[in-house]
Amino acid sequence: MLNGLFDPATVFIYLPRLLSKLPVTLLIVVTATLLGAAGGMLLALVRLFRTPVLNQAAVVYISFMRGTPIVVQLFLVFYGVPWLLDHVGIDINRWDKLFFVILTYTLNTAAFKAEVFRAALQSVPSGQAEAAYAVGLTRLQCFRRIIAPQALLIALPSLGTGLAALLQDTSLAYTLGIIDVMGQVHAIASGTNRMLEGYVGAAIIFLTLSVALEKGFGRIEANLLIKRHH
Amino acid sequence: MIEIRDIHKTFGHNLVLKGVDLKVDKGEVVVIVGPSGSGKTTLLRCINFLERADAGEISIGDTHVAFRQATARQVSTIRKQTAMVFQNYNLFNNMTALGNVMEGLVTARKVPKKEAEAVSRAVLDQVGLADKCDAYPSQLSGGQQQRVGIARALALNPEVILFDEPTSALDPELVGEVLSVMKAVARKHITMVVVTHEMSFALEIASRVIFMDGGVVVEEGAPQEIFLRPKEERTRQFLRRILPETDYTI
Ligand SMILES: Nc1ncnc2c1ncn2[C@@H]1O[C@H](COP(=O)(O)OP(=O)(O)O)[C@@H](O)[C@H]1O
Ligand SMILES: [Mg+2]
Repeated sequence: MLNGLFDPATVFIYLPRLLSKLPVTLLIVVTATLLGAAGGMLLALVRLFRTPVLNQAAVVYISFMRGTPIVVQLFLVFYGVPWLLDHVGIDINRWDKLFFVILTYTLNTAAFKAEVFRAALQSVPSGQAEAAYAVGLTRLQCFRRIIAPQALLIALPSLGTGLAALLQDTSLAYTLGIIDVMGQVHAIASGTNRMLEGYVGAAIIFLTLSVALEKGFGRIEANLLIKRHH
Repeated sequence: MIEIRDIHKTFGHNLVLKGVDLKVDKGEVVVIVGPSGSGKTTLLRCINFLERADAGEISIGDTHVAFRQATARQVSTIRKQTAMVFQNYNLFNNMTALGNVMEGLVTARKVPKKEAEAVSRAVLDQVGLADKCDAYPSQLSGGQQQRVGIARALALNPEVILFDEPTSALDPELVGEVLSVMKAVARKHITMVVVTHEMSFALEIASRVIFMDGGVVVEEGAPQEIFLRPKEERTRQFLRRILPETDYTI
């Protein structure tokens, strides 16, 4: 047994064990970000074009995802989705827990990104789209060449914030028994009765990643802005 | 040549165009004047299919199309033969002046990049902006932005260029540079339909002036006739409002 409540040296003993689970955390973050961005863009377009029925469904979906805690969503997806699919004769009860965790974070990210994308797309003056049509661009060409690049630049800061928030949010995946960085903290804590060192180790990892993300996004934005001289 | 017959357009319960005819010969410069809300912008937008007219037909060159029934392919054919210069310039903010002018050629018309760039540099030179090719819209004055807008239209070599109040968003001291570019364009016998209240431009350049009010053409004729000897009372009223000095000559 080690002495005292907190032993700094132990942090460094735990750190490699925590880092060994970092790939799991990153897998959740990266997959949910990419799939969530695609889903968010679809939702944003449904909202912008006021697609009948789908638009109302999107509104309800987005408020639900933004208005309920991620822990609630994790459990609803983990128990609810297999239950729903069971009714149509599909059995996914034995699928890996990680699948449900990634699905939850993807669904959650999509809802947040939908609003970011919608606001960003709306903020590009509509006159530019008209000018694009007038010179002969199709709707898709106009979106790809004129609207999307400008919207992306506007959305960039929010996307950075969202990514940092998602990273923090993954700290709840352990509630379903996933051994990611936080899962490892809990595993160590229950095996050794030492709590604080694991949490401090996790704090170091999360903080380092967050700062790196912030710096990275800042740099991308600065590069784009310089190129465009706003 | 461009001919529009009996164009109608309604927004909700608001009858905006109530059967307008417009015929413009090759090389003609037609100026449209009229009070705010009389349907001038809507007319130009319908010609370019930015707005879908409810009834009427359009012929440009060899293309004849009924507005209401026009297919996507016909719309694109008409758009290829028309170009638009907007009141608020509407430049693509994510592209340089050169990029703005090249976009229609490269992306829509699939002109090879090298060729498109040569054409675009030439028209930017024509509007006096050879040294601003690499500038983004945010680095240009309003007058320069509008000249890029005109270059963007010229590059497409359309049958007709539609101008919607091209100088009305500009600071007064920048109006001159845009008007002189437009005059130079007119001298090249490019067909132009211009909504503007710049009398100097109309008197000097226009082949014909059309006065619109309440969604119809009230009167049309040579600039001197419309401005100095208008036949219709509505035209006189309108001119009294925009040219206060005519008050004193009556
Ligand atoms: N997209 C639109 N939706 C509804 N009403 C419109 C729209 N565009 C123009 N209008 C109406 O059509 C009428 C004519 O407008 P406009 O063509 O812009 O006139 P002008 O250019 O002569 O000032 C106005 O009453 C205006 O409110
Ligand atoms: Mg107008």
